[in-house]
Amino acid sequence: MKFLDPRVHRVLDGEEPRESLDLALRRQVERLDQAAALLASSLEQASVADRVMTAIRRPAPAHTHRFIHWLVTPRAIVLRVRPAWSLALAAGLLAALLLPLPESRVALREGEGIAQFVARFPGAHSVAVVGSFNDWQPESTRLEDPDHDGVWGASVVLPAGAHEYMFVVDGERWIADPLAERFVQDDYGRENSVVLVQPARVSHL
Amino acid sequence: MKKGEGPSDAEVVATILAGETEAFGIIIRRYEPGLLRYATRMLGSRDAAADAVAEGLVRAYRHLASCRDPTRLRTWLYRIVANRCKSELARRPTASISLDDAPPVPDPESVETTLERAEQLALVERALAQLSPDKREAFVLKHVEGMSYEEMAAATGERIPTLKMRVHRAREALLRALEEVE
Amino acid sequence: MRLQLLLLCLASPMAAQSVRARLEGRVPAEVIPTIDSLVQTAAAESLPAELLVQKAIEGGAKHVAPEYIVVAVRVNLDQLRRARNMLVDGGDKPPTTAEEVATLNTALKRGLAPPTVARIVEALPAEPRSAAFHAVADLVGHGFDQDSAADLILAAASMGLRGERLLDVADKAILELQSGRGYTEALGTVQSQLPQVSTTKVPDPSGQAVRPVQQAPRSRP
Repeated sequence: MKFLDPRVHRVLDGEEPRESLDLALRRQVERLDQAAALLASSLEQASVADRVMTAIRRPAPAHTHRFIHWLVTPRAIVLRVRPAWSLALAAGLLAALLLPLPESRVALREGEGIAQFVARFPGAHSVAVVGSFNDWQPESTRLEDPDHDGVWGASVVLPAGAHEYMFVVDGERWIADPLAERFVQDDYGRENSVVLVQPARVSHL
Repeated sequence: MKKGEGPSDAEVVATILAGETEAFGIIIRRYEPGLLRYATRMLGSRDAAADAVAEGLVRAYRHLASCRDPTRLRTWLYRIVANRCKSELARRPTASISLDDAPPVPDPESVETTLERAEQLALVERALAQLSPDKREAFVLKHVEGMSYEEMAAATGERIPTLKMRVHRAREALLRALEEVE
Repeated sequence: MRLQLLLLCLASPMAAQSVRARLEGRVPAEVIPTIDSLVQTAAAESLPAELLVQKAIEGGAKHVAPEYIVVAVRVNLDQLRRARNMLVDGGDKPPTTAEEVATLNTALKRGLAPPTVARIVEALPAEPRSAAFHAVADLVGHGFDQDSAADLILAAASMGLRGERLLDVADKAILELQSGRGYTEALGTVQSQLPQVSTTKVPDPSGQAVRPVQQAPRSRP
């Protein structure tokens, strides 16, 4: 392996002036400078400013706002189980679930929990979740978007443990959960999302 | 940011934390070009870079109060974006990147020079893509983003001797790749 | 306010029906015999054969070419054997249950390297290991290196943390990372706080404390 003369490194690190080098070494410095200059100047890239400002102008992240809204109106709960980025969200909603609620007691069997699926697909006409728990059949578990605001959700009783899943949009687009942070290869060239269902801590909901 | 050009980072951060959301636009304008450049070199794709930088900036805004030293905002932003790039790279089957969607932009000179520059750039980009992510990052931060080793240490969380070694190895690898063509 | 839960109560995945009956209509007919045979082989080896049935049905639902479904089922059978062998080699008292094999297999699929898996198996000999595997895999998925990730989770386990608490530990380190800390710093911060892993005091995802804009009302006290 060919090493560079340490003097070249010292010049490039700004520790010595380049005039201290002979021509051959100076040529090496210049080649690297040129390479860096090319890399620095070559990219014209569209600004992400609009995208960022739009995201931060929202009064709260769309997810939080819609989830809370979802809770207090009579419909299916829309939540996700333990996504790393929304721990606070999960904690807040779990606390809400623990409030005594009439007519909503569901007896979960030993070793069962609730998996909550939610995704944003504005403009979609139907969204289903498919996975190992429903033989990957889109007709089986449809998500709902009663507000027609593009936020779809459903909650499903599942055995505790890991389950692979995807969403099917409009009956034909198969998409891994954009909000999921756990993935596995599906051995068919794509990725499945993974949800970890915890056994329910409360005996009633 | 050059001296004398508008408010300091610390002043802008204070303004944002006091409730002036729109002032974050100043931060974006100041640091976006460098962050996009860096992320594109790390990920090999403009789209992936735009995603990483946009998400990183949104996260930076939301956690602005936890930036412990607003005078070092730049390195703090680089660290957030670097972490996103690393997460993305870790998710890919191999650490190598392709440069399919980062074509060089011809500059307004003669066609000959433009072609020559394009070829040179392609050569350099290929050589860069062959470096491991650590060395690629080190070279980009040092020579393209112009950071000092201290700034690089703050941005990456690595020790300076480690960074120096990576930069040195990156230079050697690049030079070797460039000279092979001659 | 009334809340209605939409629930699906699902039949146990180990419902007693023949494999072929489950595959019929879901998987191209020409490959059902081959897949059935592979499933029976797995069952005979006390491996979680149900996973192979699900993998085949998944391929059918995804409209994968029949030959690729067979390949995937074969590959998964090999993976299950590898997982079982890792457990036995690791000194697990036989018989290893199909469930344990399935858990280990998931860990490997989530990207854990065999040495990492072996470390966890050795460190938690009599424990449910599933949460430990997923916690380490979560960290690895966010770019932490395998050894350091395992160090943190096993340290937490050695302090008595189990199950969801281990996932909390991983989540905390990931949050630290996403707040701008480096990998080493993130792990160090969480490690120094063990066994405390607060799941209540987490950064508000909607922003920092000083925010004059309206926030969605939080329903928790």
